[in-house]
Amino acid sequence: MQTSLPTSSSSSVKPEMKEKCDHRADCLKMIQLILDGEATDQQLAKVKANLESCKPCIEMYNLEREVKELLTKRMEKRCCPDQLVDTIKSRILSFS
Amino acid sequence: MSDTPTRDDDQLLPNGDAVQQTPDETPARRYTDEQKYQVFNKEFMPHIDSMYNFAFRLTMDEDDANDLVQDTYLKAFRFISSFEQGTNAKAWLFRILKNSFINDYRKKSKEPAKVDYQDVETTYNSEDAESEHTVDLRAESVSDLIGDEVANALNSLPVDFRTVIILCDIEGFTYEEMAKILDIPIGTVRSRLHRARNLLKEKLRDYASSMGYKEENGD
Repeated sequence: MQTSLPTSSSSSVKPEMKEKCDHRADCLKMIQLILDGEATDQQLAKVKANLESCKPCIEMYNLEREVKELLTKRMEKRCCPDQLVDTIKSRILSFS
Repeated sequence: MSDTPTRDDDQLLPNGDAVQQTPDETPARRYTDEQKYQVFNKEFMPHIDSMYNFAFRLTMDEDDANDLVQDTYLKAFRFISSFEQGTNAKAWLFRILKNSFINDYRKKSKEPAKVDYQDVETTYNSEDAESEHTVDLRAESVSDLIGDEVANALNSLPVDFRTVIILCDIEGFTYEEMAKILDIPIGTVRSRLHRARNLLKEKLRDYASSMGYKEENGD
């Protein structure tokens, strides 16, 4: 799939910030791939360029990262009840 | 890009419903009883907290989570000869748990009509139609949400969507591992995850706005 994302023609000149992104849906998908560690180098480069020049992409990136962090860090993690561990271990022993 | 799951790099995992592997598919490893317990304790038991959390988030019930984890570990022991030592035990166990959940618990789940299969179906069949959809929400609006609110938002998603988010964002599985755990192509993992996150963001937006973080958008 060829997505024609805007390319910054000159790397030395600071690109003008875009207020509107014409490829939001595609950019969002690539942003998620990057945060999941599943992006190709090509996708990585594209998004990196967008994050320097496209305001909606920056906002999408920040939101996706924030949501992922909420899930990773703020959700309560339970411990398996000791009793269950004991039950499993004793059931296993009676298997053979 | 291939949409077929790759199976070349590890052994077939047992289905939750106790389907015996045929010998030519999975060369059964001949563990002695002692080795079985060793594998079980060293490779399976360390994942029990993750497994319990997964079970609890799927069933949303402590008793069901207990039963599901116990069933899974007993199955894992029974099929231990199809597990190759040193391979991905966590993914192997998660797959058994997921299958057990589908086969044994989903039907009697205390979550009656919450699973909107119609929605799930439509989503998978119209990936492109969905692709323009982005949720209007700002990072600052969700950054103050607490764990309970995030959990509630997650729990309100249909179970298939909830599952991919749990596996990816909470348990940190790769897309390829998820494809194996869920028996779906990687492309489906990607699109289901994308859709799941849009739904989650809609829920988070509802929480955030009900808490009064909405005013900056003048809504």
